[in-house]
Amino acid sequence: MFLRPDILCAVRNALFFAGLATFTAVFALQLQSTDARTTRAPAQEPPAPAASQQSPPSGPLIVLDPAHGGTDTGARGETIVEKDAVLQMARLVRAELERQGYRVIMTRNDDSNPSYDDRAAMANSHRDAIFISLHVASTGASGTVRAYYTQFGTPPPPAPLAASTNAKASNPPAGGLTPWETAQLPYLDVSHRLADLIQGELAQAFSGSGPTATGVPVRELRSVTAPAVAVEISSVGTPTPDLLTASATPLGAALARAIQAFRPANAGGTR
Amino acid sequence: MPRVTKIVIGLLVVAVLIGLISFRGLRRRMQRLAETQTADERARHEVLAPAISSPTDVTVKAKIFWAAGSDRIAPVEVQLPLSADPVLRSRQLLHELTVDPPTAGQRTIPADTTVLGFYILPDGTAIVDFSDALSSEMPSGILSEEMAVNSIARTLENNVPVLRRLKILIHGQEVDTLAGNVDLTGFFDLNHPAAPAAAATAKSQR
Repeated sequence: MFLRPDILCAVRNALFFAGLATFTAVFALQLQSTDARTTRAPAQEPPAPAASQQSPPSGPLIVLDPAHGGTDTGARGETIVEKDAVLQMARLVRAELERQGYRVIMTRNDDSNPSYDDRAAMANSHRDAIFISLHVASTGASGTVRAYYTQFGTPPPPAPLAASTNAKASNPPAGGLTPWETAQLPYLDVSHRLADLIQGELAQAFSGSGPTATGVPVRELRSVTAPAVAVEISSVGTPTPDLLTASATPLGAALARAIQAFRPANAGGTR
Repeated sequence: MPRVTKIVIGLLVVAVLIGLISFRGLRRRMQRLAETQTADERARHEVLAPAISSPTDVTVKAKIFWAAGSDRIAPVEVQLPLSADPVLRSRQLLHELTVDPPTAGQRTIPADTTVLGFYILPDGTAIVDFSDALSSEMPSGILSEEMAVNSIARTLENNVPVLRRLKILIHGQEVDTLAGNVDLTGFFDLNHPAAPAAAATAKSQR
């Protein structure tokens, strides 16, 4: 049997469009069932535990530095050794800062003793970091806390960032190399401001603590290319370590408040 | 009241009375012991680093910065025979700072510390070389180390006007830190316009 060519062409077109319609229908049905599965999925996951954890943490990275470690014990009391006390405190401070939505890393999380340079490098490898070194003193009135920013004895040549606005403080100096030994120089002003804010909060949280921060050439801070402060609590003469660790959470809360006050004027990013 | 209770109470009262009577004597004995220790310490130091005197010594009121409380230093005015030569004068001041604090609690640098060398460069930079004791016997901590360095710097600054900067060496070497915290690789400003004002409060006359 022979069909006319025009009829044959019409039949061929009809078959083609019928196949296309069938394929489209099957694809649409599959897509619908996939959508249904994905929209049902969140209901099977556990509910988000806290508002602060619903959105990923943003803003500055807090580099917490428990001082000393390993063979370097730091200050020693009858029952307390600084390297252990600061590590325990740093873990609690970290938990408090993370609870408030900050990203936190620690320069050590065991009884190791990273070099001063390694500690600084951890902060320097991030663009938007704040370096906080935690210490326990040998002396001082028990329960008082002090914030320090570093100082350099010899007046430095004008640094690009020293005279610039705070808004540029989180960026590295423009042009030229930064000497490692004095890398903190361009950040002295912002570190001073942060230390003052922290000390203001500490004065309220820990009675007997002074109202303003102190400038001291703290070794750990000199090579940090970010706002950097040291916080020292008194002291290893405290009868039990529990008294020191009990102050870690209020210390973390005070740091969080100070960082929050520091941020809007010092960086583009906000929490 | 049962007889046994009365006896116990009586014994307790007697014990408390004995304790109160012996307390004063115990306290006096402790004070005497502390004074003896200070005298011993001074005698030992005199052997290690005898007092320095020169023909140009003139007795003046010097300001020596010792601890005033647990977290700051303050000047104490002391009548001292001081040389006109800045190097000898500086050594005399550091000797006084180390050996003769008014009380043990006012000490800022370890008792066994001695000055091994003192030099002044033409630009007013003072280089002081301390014995190991300054570092090895220093209680670790930013506060204690800062008070030690500040007491040295402010004492020199207030009594030797020609000095501009201070460099601290330990046993002839530049060291990283004093006792783990305060950086000793740099210089400390003396008589610098931007230098922070010394804690002038609680100034006491000796």
